[in-house]
Amino acid sequence: MLNGRATIVGYFLLHFAGALGGQDCHIALRGHVTDADTKEALAYASVFVKEIGKGAITDENGWFAIPNLCEKTPYTVEISHIECAHFTQVVRLTENTVMEFRLVHDAILNEVVIHEKALALPNIQAESQVDRLDLEASKGVNLGEALKRLPGVTTLNTGHTIAKPVIQGLHSNRIAIVNNGVALEGQQWGSEHAPEIDPFTADKITVVKGASGVRYGVGAMAGAVVLEPAPLRAAAGVGGWLSLGGFSNGLGGLASGAVDWHLPSQSLTFRLQGTAKRSGNLRAPDYFLGNTGAAELNLSAMAGWKNTRWTHDVGASIFTQQIGILRSAHIGNLTDLQLAIESPVPLNNRDAFAYEVERPYQQVRHYLAKYRTTYRLSEKWKISSQYAFQFNNREEYDVVRSTGSAADKPQLSFRLWTNTLDVALEHFPIGHWQGGIGVQGIQQTNLVGRGGLIPDYRALGGSVWLVERWRRFPDPWEVEFGLRYDYRQTNATTSGSLTNIDTLVHFANVSGTAGLTYHLGKHLSATVHTGYAWRPPHVNELFARGIHHGAATYEEGRPDLRTEKAWNSNVTFQYRNRQTEAALTLYRNQIRDFIYLDPQNTFVLTVRGAFPAYFYAQADAVLRGLDGSLTVPVLKSLFVESRVSLLRGERIVPDSFESNGDKKHDWLPLMPTDRFQYGLRWVIHRKSSVGASRSDDVSTAGATSLRLMATTAVRQSRIPAAGLLKAPPPTFTVLSFDATHTFHLNNGKKKEAKMPLEVGLTVQNLTNTRYREYLNFFRFYADEPGLNMGIRAKLLFG
Amino acid sequence: MLNKKIALHTFLLALLFAGLFVAGCKDNDDGTEQENITTVVLHFIGPGFDREFEWNDLDGPGGNAPTVQTIELPPLTGNITCRVHVYDRSKTPAEDITEEIEEEADEHLVVYIPDASVSATWSYDDTDSKGKPLGIKTKWQTNQPSAGNLRVILYHEPTNKDNLSNPGGEVDFDVTFPVRIQ
Repeated sequence: MLNGRATIVGYFLLHFAGALGGQDCHIALRGHVTDADTKEALAYASVFVKEIGKGAITDENGWFAIPNLCEKTPYTVEISHIECAHFTQVVRLTENTVMEFRLVHDAILNEVVIHEKALALPNIQAESQVDRLDLEASKGVNLGEALKRLPGVTTLNTGHTIAKPVIQGLHSNRIAIVNNGVALEGQQWGSEHAPEIDPFTADKITVVKGASGVRYGVGAMAGAVVLEPAPLRAAAGVGGWLSLGGFSNGLGGLASGAVDWHLPSQSLTFRLQGTAKRSGNLRAPDYFLGNTGAAELNLSAMAGWKNTRWTHDVGASIFTQQIGILRSAHIGNLTDLQLAIESPVPLNNRDAFAYEVERPYQQVRHYLAKYRTTYRLSEKWKISSQYAFQFNNREEYDVVRSTGSAADKPQLSFRLWTNTLDVALEHFPIGHWQGGIGVQGIQQTNLVGRGGLIPDYRALGGSVWLVERWRRFPDPWEVEFGLRYDYRQTNATTSGSLTNIDTLVHFANVSGTAGLTYHLGKHLSATVHTGYAWRPPHVNELFARGIHHGAATYEEGRPDLRTEKAWNSNVTFQYRNRQTEAALTLYRNQIRDFIYLDPQNTFVLTVRGAFPAYFYAQADAVLRGLDGSLTVPVLKSLFVESRVSLLRGERIVPDSFESNGDKKHDWLPLMPTDRFQYGLRWVIHRKSSVGASRSDDVSTAGATSLRLMATTAVRQSRIPAAGLLKAPPPTFTVLSFDATHTFHLNNGKKKEAKMPLEVGLTVQNLTNTRYREYLNFFRFYADEPGLNMGIRAKLLFG
Repeated sequence: MLNKKIALHTFLLALLFAGLFVAGCKDNDDGTEQENITTVVLHFIGPGFDREFEWNDLDGPGGNAPTVQTIELPPLTGNITCRVHVYDRSKTPAEDITEEIEEEADEHLVVYIPDASVSATWSYDDTDSKGKPLGIKTKWQTNQPSAGNLRVILYHEPTNKDNLSNPGGEVDFDVTFPVRIQ
């Protein structure tokens, strides 16, 4: 590409400039210029501010800075680069600003996405972002489906409709789901409790892998799923999008839309967003899956307001969902389960299509309200605080006699109230260090209906954190470290016919993170990252007592469990140029006092017969694995895509009776199988002058993308010696196909009137293959769904 | 002017939140209802005797083990009637689930499985609305003095009431009583 001596313009600052008539003219605009297609930094792009007749050239890493701009004055910023379209943007600054300018190769585009970067630091840790095409294609299904295409990420399912993300083998309480800056607080401990997230609110989904406790709190021991909404509309006027979709399997339909309204002549913007979904019984290749319908209705509202020093953001959302549970999966006791396992077809199945959901089903509501404010203390310092309230209400309806007292009531209910307050003091680079320090407080009340598996509890927690990062262009080194201290106390109480519990437990620990990246030139980087994180045992692990229906096991908690500590180290190599992308992560996660369910050699006698007993226990565990992804062009616009996830999880069996001191090993249950995805993607840019790139962005007029992918999951042969009720399902390969094309409505008229219309076709399980997933609890009962064709259309306006 | 507008919008938003909070906190009634079978009673009436034998697990799965009484019946006796009663004694007052089973007779089936060593025979003494067996009421005939176990199973929503060894549906209770005929 380009060569020459580096010109470093970025990062010099504005120490001299007088005030003009009370107007602040000390403001600096820092910018990062990237290629919208490849996300690669663009060096030697020329930046020119028309009004002041000054300019700058981006450095080797795409950075530039223009000092001494006045506040609230419109400036025209022109950016040009030999490989890209000329680009113009009017900016009006109220404070020192860092902006990301994404330049596009194609000649047609002037609609460049401007995205003001928050002060939050980009992650040095291994992470993967969901490809835009995958995100659009899978939003209609659920969050898990959107994440599944990333290497190292899979889902833990209870049927097709309930999917929980699994990052490098760990899930539930060991990962955090952070939506628009708020960590989701639901009943994450339960394997059949899906995250209460509407994927349509997200514009970007990132999966952070490995110990992320410093950044996302004690819940993020093994990683985090971070969802970010599209930034609020920056220009005055009204804009938004409308999305419609339909699926052949389950005859599902969905509608989602959002409207942004930016008030004229002030910086106040509102957004309203909503999603409605409905689907009926899904169909496996040979039969309908009775009672697998689902319905969902979500609403959210946001508002943002800014002035010179203040930024205010408020948001509220409501998520409601009703999910039918496969009727065949409802079993009474171990004999029923054994019969179900032996039967090649689901027993008690209602083999017909229906939208109606009957018992058993789940009804979930999640409410969220948040307020975030930022105050600019000086050119370099910012203080921000965020308060969030969440209420989660989960009701589970079991099969009961229709004349009994339970007939119109749920059999289980969980109500969880969470209040969180975050305060952070952050700074722009000072001596090449950028970072912040903060505190967090959390308060929770969880009320469980009578007969629930877990007791009621009240929890209080507090934490202090510090993150700093060093980067000096053009040094190839980048360093990050973080420290965090958390304290959590939980008061668990029960009343009723069960044994009374009234216990106060508390846990405290330190988390740490350290990362080092070496940029081997423009395209290749190597990162070493290590993190230490922990989590307190959850109330279910401490105090659970009861039958886990579906698994037909009796589970009992242990009140003396210690905290679980993870030390995760990984090495990531990343290569990225205009057409090729390759990433490889090798990781090792050493977990001390890993909490797991230990099968006992005893049975617990109940009124439904005898159930095998499982007690919570602790032992050290090690998870090692490899995540890789590769996209390479084979022809001008034809790409080969491949992703691979390998994982070995084992537990060290403490054996104090053995005199030679040797430790025994046992495989961990429910570890993701080795998984390979491979396929071809064909990208056609109609007016492309420089050839196609491995672009995610097909919102260009006339752009078409076709993709055929195969997924092979290898039979899990590494299974624990005891406690697995059914042998893992055999190796399978399923094919999927998707196609996307973007039209521009009103094309040819003036630019502003253009409305991109993106249409897509998705086919899952193209060959209608019969298969079962190891990480689906319903593999005992039924096959995964068969062929599913989906169509979708998304219109952007304004 | 502008500030007024902003103030108004802020107020409206505050109102929206207030609504959410109220909606979230008002709903304090728990409203769940479990269906726990804690007790199965077999009530035998024959010539010259009238006895009840109980299977109890009042604290549910785990905790204290169930308590089970031994069924004692006289030998060589015919014309014994047996009636099964099912209760949820974790509630106050105790809920009699037997009535619910009888009301939904079509969707229930009780099956009795005595050990081969138990010298007794039984037959159904009731039917559902389709003429199929229900099993709340049964007739028993005892023979030689003997001992063993009697397993009693209640199936909910059985798919085939003619196949007593595997009627389908799911098991609501599956309890075993020791039996002594003497």
